[in-house]
Amino acid sequence: MAKLPVSLTINGDEHDLLIEPRKTLLAVLRDTIGLTGTKEGCSTGDCGACTVIVDGKAVTSCMVLGITASGKEITTIEGLAGDGELHPVQQAFIETGGYQCGFCTPGFIMASKALIDENPDRTEEEFRHALGGNICRCTGYTKILEAVLKAAEEIRTTT
Amino acid sequence: MSEYTVVGQTVARVDAVEKVTGAAQYGADVHPPGMLYGKLVRSKHAHANIRSIDTSEAEKLPGVRAIITQDDVPSGRRVFATDKVLYLGEPIAAVAATDPDIAEEAAELIKIDYEVLPVVQDVMEAIKPSAPRLHGDDTKDGPNRREISGEIRTLSRDKENDHSDAISNLEAELENYPDEVYYNISAESHTEAGDVEKGFAESDVVVEDTYVIPRVHQTYMEPHVSVASADSSGKITVWASTQGPFAIRSGIAGTLGIPLTQINVIGTTMGGGFGGRFGVIITHVPAVLLSQKTGRPVRVQMTREEEFTDGRPAPGCVIKLKTGATNDGRILAREALAFWDSGSVSGASIGSTIRVRGVYKIPNLKVDAYGVHTNKSGTAAYRAPGAPQAIFAGESQLDEIAERIGMDPVEFRLMNMREEGDEVPAGGSEPKVGYKETLEAVADAAGWWDREADENQGWGVAVGDWTNGCGPGGVYVSVHEDGSARIFHGSMDITGTDTAISQIIAEILTVPYESVTIRRGDTDSAPYSTGSGGSVVTFTMGNTAKLAAEDAHRRILELASERLNMNVDNLELRDGEVHVTSADPPKSISLGELAAYSLSTTGGPIVGKGSFARQASTPALAAQIAKVEVDPGTGRTRVLKLVASQDVGFAINPMAVEGQIEGGTVQGYAWAMMEEMQYDENGNVNPGFVDYRVPTSADLPTVESVIVEVPAPNGPYGAKGVGEPPITPTLATMANAVKDAIGIRISELPIKPEKVVNALKGNGHEA
Repeated sequence: MAKLPVSLTINGDEHDLLIEPRKTLLAVLRDTIGLTGTKEGCSTGDCGACTVIVDGKAVTSCMVLGITASGKEITTIEGLAGDGELHPVQQAFIETGGYQCGFCTPGFIMASKALIDENPDRTEEEFRHALGGNICRCTGYTKILEAVLKAAEEIRTTT
Repeated sequence: MSEYTVVGQTVARVDAVEKVTGAAQYGADVHPPGMLYGKLVRSKHAHANIRSIDTSEAEKLPGVRAIITQDDVPSGRRVFATDKVLYLGEPIAAVAATDPDIAEEAAELIKIDYEVLPVVQDVMEAIKPSAPRLHGDDTKDGPNRREISGEIRTLSRDKENDHSDAISNLEAELENYPDEVYYNISAESHTEAGDVEKGFAESDVVVEDTYVIPRVHQTYMEPHVSVASADSSGKITVWASTQGPFAIRSGIAGTLGIPLTQINVIGTTMGGGFGGRFGVIITHVPAVLLSQKTGRPVRVQMTREEEFTDGRPAPGCVIKLKTGATNDGRILAREALAFWDSGSVSGASIGSTIRVRGVYKIPNLKVDAYGVHTNKSGTAAYRAPGAPQAIFAGESQLDEIAERIGMDPVEFRLMNMREEGDEVPAGGSEPKVGYKETLEAVADAAGWWDREADENQGWGVAVGDWTNGCGPGGVYVSVHEDGSARIFHGSMDITGTDTAISQIIAEILTVPYESVTIRRGDTDSAPYSTGSGGSVVTFTMGNTAKLAAEDAHRRILELASERLNMNVDNLELRDGEVHVTSADPPKSISLGELAAYSLSTTGGPIVGKGSFARQASTPALAAQIAKVEVDPGTGRTRVLKLVASQDVGFAINPMAVEGQIEGGTVQGYAWAMMEEMQYDENGNVNPGFVDYRVPTSADLPTVESVIVEVPAPNGPYGAKGVGEPPITPTLATMANAVKDAIGIRISELPIKPEKVVNALKGNGHEA
């Protein structure tokens, strides 16, 4: 299949690539760039494991064709920690035990970060509904919600 | 104040940073140079004869490197279907190509000519003579016929006397049970204690009902995946997402006739398992075969849809249950007849039917269970395999009895619960357990005793028991010259077990948790370890780790004795230093100094070894209470409160233990209210998250967990396995709460809104 030129900014680095039009952003991130922190859980946009942030919005990268992300700013789980420090959302997931097997965790962390950036003042109930596009099978969500509320509080008070 | 400094404390897990930064390497993250992508070619019918397989078109597709069928399995062991397929999605061939999309295209190009056969999906239909047979004509007798046939066989064996009259009478009696010749039976299991007929006769109240529990998928978030690489010497390396690398090694060896030494299995970080990640043939064997054929590494990764059609989910079942009790609340007898849907192969956990006995004194018990073939994939373990199904029946019926005799459901359970020394029906004597404490704890925490309910609201309680398994394991611990401890072992971390092992070793070596690191080896390097299933790891590897640390502790004191020229009896290891007891001025030497010193001694470095296989485990109880509100118009049930207590023996890492309780309870909730793999004559019809709904954070409130600690005599620090118990009672907890809210018993799961609406309509309610 003929490949098309694409220019992506991923975690601040520019990548000029030739990719097949049928490849999803998820496939480009994982197979072409080698950023495997973003996970494939269903390939149908239902589980949220592949969530990345594109131009500030959380998107399921299995539902986006790589070629349509050209020119956009993409942040993956690998790009979240900076200067040797974890992002407050990552730190909160550790402190509350908001992960178990960890497979859904990158998606949850990226979705939570985008939600908190948009509005850190959500109530628990609002976060519960806003995170309804991400599936976790291990935690029962109790400690994930604790993590998100803790991170939101942290971000609210430091910014 | 705890007598311990590290165990019993909440600590961040050893894998915390790699899990929140995306650095953890799961199966599909492994990408050796030159790797090809494998794809399985699957049956498009639920039951069919295969007339022919034509791979010629697929072979022509650029990028295709290999296509294999059963002809390419030199051992002859069945990996692919050849002449007949038994379920939708059954593998028939496999393709390896340079790109995943090319592999998928090639799989579609393989032409298979089928002769479609009649299909049976319902266990109660499958046992009838009219049902299509999956595997020949084998039949089994039901419980009544079985007993009579047994008597006939006994009499026939006695050649001394003439029993011909008695035998003809018995043969005539057999005719009374024409429906008790079961077809498509894969396995059977029978248990009896006391005399149930007598027990029912003495009972004031006898309740009988049929419970239907659906097949559900473990739905671990990481689909099955395997990367295999066969080198030119024949050595095979497999990166496997599995709960048991050593079991996968022996499974591949056995299936393909390869010596163990030629196979190295590297367990990758596991994206959930819940019992479903022990399969050998699902992806590992096809990946090995494709790599052997192409000489290149090959990844075989299932899609979510393939997980639903060809995973190995938890079996559904139909349980006919009958319970008798006295008006003053004593359970006298219980009888179960269960049919488990084992799919196209045997292996459903039919033996778990015995768990209808619960944790109660039941003097008379009879359990008959059958595994039944249907046109579905085979089944596997799912978190306390078989227990949620059996306990759903047992605990639902208990509430019905309590209602008939006018007793509070918690009091009724407390009154009948076994205590230490009581006889377990068909199971010996009860050890020291915390059944009553655990139920009382949840009742207190949930506010059961002064519970209130508005209209359409209800409260439900149930308990479930489970005993952790035990298995072989080995652990090494080394102490290095900076005073840090390094652990080496071979068991898969199952959400926190590496952390528990590290805590135990830090505790014994009296060093900070942070100065302990742990590494898992592959099957070529690590000591043998049992699979991470059956809640074995903390019990087994915790004991193993303790032995290893105690071994290191001995060597540490020996070295200190040499170095300080003191008798070991005068030495004590605390706070990472060996102290001379009653020395004035105080005298001590650090672990780091001893480790450095050890490098030039005859005895050598500090290396502790632990090896362990068996000790008796102690049963654990999970008790749960739910408060729900049912909307009679839509049938939707909303959980207002869900409280879960569990006797964990001793919580080595309380935060991780709470996580197990919360997660298991929510899985149980989902089985009760949402999840159901649905099948028709074409096979599974809901192979994705849109039609097979699992809970999200929007579906539930916070689960409140309550830790109860009644120590297990043989557990490390008294710990019991915690992973499996929490799923066991929730199915019944929810059904009992819905019953309390709407006054109608729903005995067929899941309790979806339409079922509630129909039940209310049937009861004269207007929607």
